[in-house]
Amino acid sequence: MSSSFEKSIWHLFVEGDMNAFSTLFKTYYSSLHNYGLKISGDHKLTEDCLQSFFVYLHENRKKLGNIVNIKSYFFVSFRRSLLKALKRARNFSSYDKLIENSNAFVFSNEDILVEQEFINIRAKVLAKLLNTLSTRERETVYLKYYSELSTKEIAEVMNVKYQSVQNTLQKAFYKLRNHAELQEIKRILQIN
Amino acid sequence: MVNNKQSFLDLLLNDSSFINWAKECNQNDMEFWTTWIKNNPNKAEEVYNAKSIITGITFKKEPITQEKIDLELQTVLRLIEKKEQERNEVIPLKRNFFRKTKNWIYACSAAAAILLFFIFSNGITQINSSETIHKTGFGEIIDLKLPDGTSVVLNGNSEIKYSKGNPRNIELKGEAYFKVKPIPSTKAKFWVNTKDLRVEVYGTQFHVNTRKMKTDVLLDEGSVHLILDNGRTKEMVPGELVSFSKAHNAISHEKVTKELSYSIWRDGTYVFNNTSLEEVMINLKQAYGVNIEFNDEKLKKLVLTGGIPNQNLKICLSAIEKSTGTKIVQKDNTLKLFKNQ
Repeated sequence: MSSSFEKSIWHLFVEGDMNAFSTLFKTYYSSLHNYGLKISGDHKLTEDCLQSFFVYLHENRKKLGNIVNIKSYFFVSFRRSLLKALKRARNFSSYDKLIENSNAFVFSNEDILVEQEFINIRAKVLAKLLNTLSTRERETVYLKYYSELSTKEIAEVMNVKYQSVQNTLQKAFYKLRNHAELQEIKRILQIN
Repeated sequence: MVNNKQSFLDLLLNDSSFINWAKECNQNDMEFWTTWIKNNPNKAEEVYNAKSIITGITFKKEPITQEKIDLELQTVLRLIEKKEQERNEVIPLKRNFFRKTKNWIYACSAAAAILLFFIFSNGITQINSSETIHKTGFGEIIDLKLPDGTSVVLNGNSEIKYSKGNPRNIELKGEAYFKVKPIPSTKAKFWVNTKDLRVEVYGTQFHVNTRKMKTDVLLDEGSVHLILDNGRTKEMVPGELVSFSKAHNAISHEKVTKELSYSIWRDGTYVFNNTSLEEVMINLKQAYGVNIEFNDEKLKKLVLTGGIPNQNLKICLSAIEKSTGTKIVQKDNTLKLFKNQ
């Protein structure tokens, strides 16, 4: 969806147009569902939360004001309400702890396409490697390559500076490449 | 040092030639960077890291099915409606009633949503098999025949709703043209309800538009009785245009003349009379979901008179271009209006 089209849809939505609301719902439901599932690992909680999130959006549409980037707004805002629901359900004291202590963004080989341009390793190995990263690094990787958010949008969603997203990505890939090389060496040694 | 390193990475990540090399898609760029790396071996680590950030990780995507999304959407729309109903309930007794039945309503809405999905594909929605909704998307126009023989042309981004037991009492959001079939034997009335007013007729042809914070009714044939939201009533004769806004409690009642400025829509044609180009474009914005930009403020004041076909946005735009001497350029979903030199 082009951004100017989105803006006019958003504008109509704020004015109470239900067709515009449905269009936004259909545009974002799938990617938010996937994102929520990766955070919570819980289908029912994610879907319940999505329902109340969209009801909330509609109810408070007049108070939302001018939104610059609609895509990142949907991610930020849904992330916030999902974390709130998780906090209630799991009795955690702070959001950071919540995300770090949970199984958020744990990948399996099913998440990953077999053919990778990145390095010549199997999906299973790459999934394992990804899971050695910190939660924050995994979320950044997910938002960048799964949700296809720009670095700027990721910064907004995770409430950090642009540079910090860039650093996190760099660190994550540095680790991945090092691990991958190590794996490769191990494999060669085993064969010989 | 860290800063330098950072900006070098940023440079690489934003360099289109570098991106081409990382994706191996341009021979010249590939040669350039291969040579560059040979000459700058100390930078190799960062270069390869930047490359892996660009190529990234390819995830397998399994999007949620269209069916599931539609189902969830119906549930959410139902929840929103329930919420609004609850808010409008003032009597506490009724409120309790709503609370008690809430769980039951949720259970039902899931069942209803499944039913909805099957019927929704042809534009008709039935809720608990007692209510029928016809809805159009942006740029979509449908011709309807109601069970009583009345025909309705529904413009884009509009909706009508009626209960099965009473197809002559309908609710309208958006814009539609009605040809009401008279039933002389019983003199049965036909009602169109909008957020601002109620139109009461026996058999006639008229146009209703509820966009722009007000409701416009234009009568072509027969006679019409209007019941405004503020309790007052109005009689209309053919060729008259009534606008009423509940929000501003403002009414205008005029005979359609050559001098009067109006815009109406019938049989898939917009009829404009002394209508400013700005207002013409607002009509299109609402029916097609497009964004409008004027390159020159003066263009907004241009006046248009005549019929513009709107079955299709392209034809509609070329008719507007011809009659106003403008050039309309469509980019994505924005229409840009320029003065035609």
